[in-house]
Amino acid sequence: MSLRKIGLKVATIAAVSGLMGTSIAAAEEYRIAVPLQGLTAEFMQLWVKGANEHPAVVDGTVNLTVFDGRLDALTQSNHFDTIITQQFDAVIFIPVDAEAGTEPARRALEAGIPVFGSNTLVSDPSVYQAYVGSNDVVAGEVVAQTIIDQLGERKNVVVLEGPIGHSAQIQRAEGIASVVAASEGVNVLAQRTANWSRAEALALMENWLTAYPGQIDGVIAQNDEMALGAIEALRARGVSTDDVPVAGIDGIGDALVAVQEGTMSTTLQDATGQAQGAIDLALRHLVGEGYEPRSPLWETYSDSLSWNGGTESTYMIPWVPVTLDNVEELLARRN
Amino acid sequence: MSQAAADTQTKKQILNWINKNGILLALILLFVALSVLNQYFLTATNLTNVARQVSINGILAVGMTFVILTAGIDLSIGSIAAICGAVAASLVVGDTAMSPMVAILAGVGVGATLGLINGGLVGYAFLPPFVVTLGMLSVARGTTLIFTDGMPISRLSDEFKFLGQGDVYGLPIPTLIFMAVVIVSWFALKHTVYGRWVYAVGGNPRSARTSGVPVRGVITSVYVIMGALCGLAGLILTARTTAALPQAGVAYELDAIAAVVIGGTSLAGGVGGIGATVIGVLIIGLINNGLDLMGVSSYYQQIIKGSIIVLAVLLDRSRRSHH
Repeated sequence: MSLRKIGLKVATIAAVSGLMGTSIAAAEEYRIAVPLQGLTAEFMQLWVKGANEHPAVVDGTVNLTVFDGRLDALTQSNHFDTIITQQFDAVIFIPVDAEAGTEPARRALEAGIPVFGSNTLVSDPSVYQAYVGSNDVVAGEVVAQTIIDQLGERKNVVVLEGPIGHSAQIQRAEGIASVVAASEGVNVLAQRTANWSRAEALALMENWLTAYPGQIDGVIAQNDEMALGAIEALRARGVSTDDVPVAGIDGIGDALVAVQEGTMSTTLQDATGQAQGAIDLALRHLVGEGYEPRSPLWETYSDSLSWNGGTESTYMIPWVPVTLDNVEELLARRN
Repeated sequence: MSQAAADTQTKKQILNWINKNGILLALILLFVALSVLNQYFLTATNLTNVARQVSINGILAVGMTFVILTAGIDLSIGSIAAICGAVAASLVVGDTAMSPMVAILAGVGVGATLGLINGGLVGYAFLPPFVVTLGMLSVARGTTLIFTDGMPISRLSDEFKFLGQGDVYGLPIPTLIFMAVVIVSWFALKHTVYGRWVYAVGGNPRSARTSGVPVRGVITSVYVIMGALCGLAGLILTARTTAALPQAGVAYELDAIAAVVIGGTSLAGGVGGIGATVIGVLIIGLINNGLDLMGVSSYYQQIIKGSIIVLAVLLDRSRRSHH
């Protein structure tokens, strides 16, 4: 075989293995399967990007295989069949649905594959070896407080909700409700779902602006997409977000840009932290005692989050308020 | 006959065979390729997985074959499956759970009823099936959301969950149900008067009418069959995911239609059959399973699946033009 041919072959293998997400085996390689909700969501993209930047993934100690659940509980259940057949060393799981996610996770557990939760809980958390997420009740409290702090004399707000029944919707609603109840004079004019969608929130906000002309003083959105939809509706009506403040949750790219422009507020859900935290916990389980976490996240949040030997059942990654001071840096990290 | 002429004759025969059985050949090639490419593919567990995974789309695709044979289409199957699953689930919750048999009857009954509405509007009110079932897609989904209050229905009885998770002699229950559906449907289409009517209605409705086929009734009936099978699929789906989810079954019509089309059943009606659809179902199932095993990104999976659908129709077209 000529040298050129060999070169070509190597290039092909590299291309093929790149396409298939597998890498040439290192000495001690742990295969971790990642069945996640759906790669169409920006947050999931950031999660995967963060996971791939974990030092153990970069140096080949861990080989990650992502399974895209396509927002369908059955697809995800099928993925667990595949994962069990392929005998992965561990699973990092982001369920499509909290109810439907429990059974597949239990199947993996029964097949001897430990399951680590990230981002979303299942209805029976005992199937998780450990869970790394962010507390959505806290996020609800933060988004409500942000808006209430900006209100003047009159305090009429509207609330845009996620898909009813989604665990994040339920918990964020709980946080919002508790802050609203504790704040004097705040009146919720309307509260409805826009299914996390910018387009749906835009139409809903347009209708609210018609139904409550000149009465809305603030917009609390359970995620950034919906906040951005509401901003578009306000803009179309010629209403400034200086007069009617809008706040969301998650810290997606467009929202960071909007914060930079001064049109909204948001708090960042640290996708990288959730991803890398779960990898560290899985490695602690696979490598055993003495494993030191390698993600920089434990350093970053050292004052509010502690590794504690990596044997706790739950780790909550703190929310990061996005401000003009840190938005530049957060945006730079995206690209 | 000279040697050369005989050679051309054999060549022609081989080409003919390939033309006729192209899709089956594609399935076999896919199977062999996956066996070579992935060490886990050809294992008993994985093949059982595939058998279980294809059954829901398989049941829906069999129903869709009836509909498409009459030159119709049903876009509402995912939504109907969702409402059937939810109704069935509501009967087998917690301490007041009824027998799974009641849930099965209720689920299939709701599906058949909604199918009857679809079929009546197509068969007797002469509305285009595309429009009727598009409307039903939305109505049935809305009804599901109202019925479930937007929340999953869970804590289902173990007997009910057995429908989706259990097995008999190593064969998963969903697969057994799918096989039963295939055998009954194949027999109905191939060996009964009703089957001939279905083909006649799709092939040429005018001459079917003049030769005494109850065209309207046949058209209505295929949507009822489709609806009942949606009920069955919805039950299995609910039992497998251990909860009736308000968003279950979204876009399932696409895979069912794709399986029928890949198999070679003509969207113009009158041509095709259950065997062809089963091959289509297996091809889609193997693609999903194989690409998952190899860790191919789902972005590529969609491109591959879409390309295969178009290729299948292209192959079908060239096959027809030969005859």
